[in-house]
Amino acid sequence: MTQNAGGEGADSPSTEKQVKNQRGVLASLNPSGYRLERWAYTFQRVTGLAILVYVLGHIGDTSFFVGGPFGSGPNTSSWSGDIAITANLVGNLILVLVVLVVVFHGINGIRLILSEFGLIFKKPSRPEYPYRAKSQGALQRHIIWLAIVAAILAALWAGSIIMG
Amino acid sequence: MRESRIMLVQYVTAAAAIVLVTIHLLMQGVLVPYSLAIDFPHVLSVYRTWVDAALLESLLVVVVVHGFNGLRTILHEWRQGVAWSRWVDRGTIAVIVVVVAYGTRTLILAATGTVVL
Repeated sequence: MTQNAGGEGADSPSTEKQVKNQRGVLASLNPSGYRLERWAYTFQRVTGLAILVYVLGHIGDTSFFVGGPFGSGPNTSSWSGDIAITANLVGNLILVLVVLVVVFHGINGIRLILSEFGLIFKKPSRPEYPYRAKSQGALQRHIIWLAIVAAILAALWAGSIIMG
Repeated sequence: MRESRIMLVQYVTAAAAIVLVTIHLLMQGVLVPYSLAIDFPHVLSVYRTWVDAALLESLLVVVVVHGFNGLRTILHEWRQGVAWSRWVDRGTIAVIVVVVAYGTRTLILAATGTVVL
């Protein structure tokens, strides 16, 4: 959602700049024109939200093992009905996508934890042109690429298991 | 709780989630064939083995806390303000309690309830 100053004086250069700088969450999530770390930042949030949605659905659908919200114990017909709805092509594709985003989120998350505790940063030095963040060394980018490749391989593996 | 402490919770739950999700995925298709993993008698035996049930409960708590605390972080980045922050924090705790309670109810009923054929 956009938050901007609006109101009177909206055409003045200063306000125009202010509005441009207040494009809200969508702008903060837009990584185009930035380096790989910024893309990883966006993907970490998008995959995190996707996993959260899946987890909520999964907690809901596994509750049908005990008859759903109003069940009282393990129920074979309720579970068969749930499997009939979820174990099909669409459900299997969702599972493969879940594996894809979970593996990326997990490996990139390990990178973030290591960064938080300063374990994979380069030594700080005086800023010099072109002012690239020297703390973001090649190791960080290697881990991001590892996360991408591992996620794709894991998704392919999961696809062969689920649909194979 | 201080924000730095909450971030520590986020990192600890992240590390725990990596271990528990890996075990969960291995049990759902690698160590146990996928068709068997969703078969009713097998799922029942998992819920009624206390080690497996404890792992599932841990997975539930860890993932829900990590997920909703992550959403809380995004909402704090999105907007700032005393009232907004207060309600986001309260809402996060409330949703975590409700979702964990619902998932725990499934586990308890599956482990102790009478099987309906």
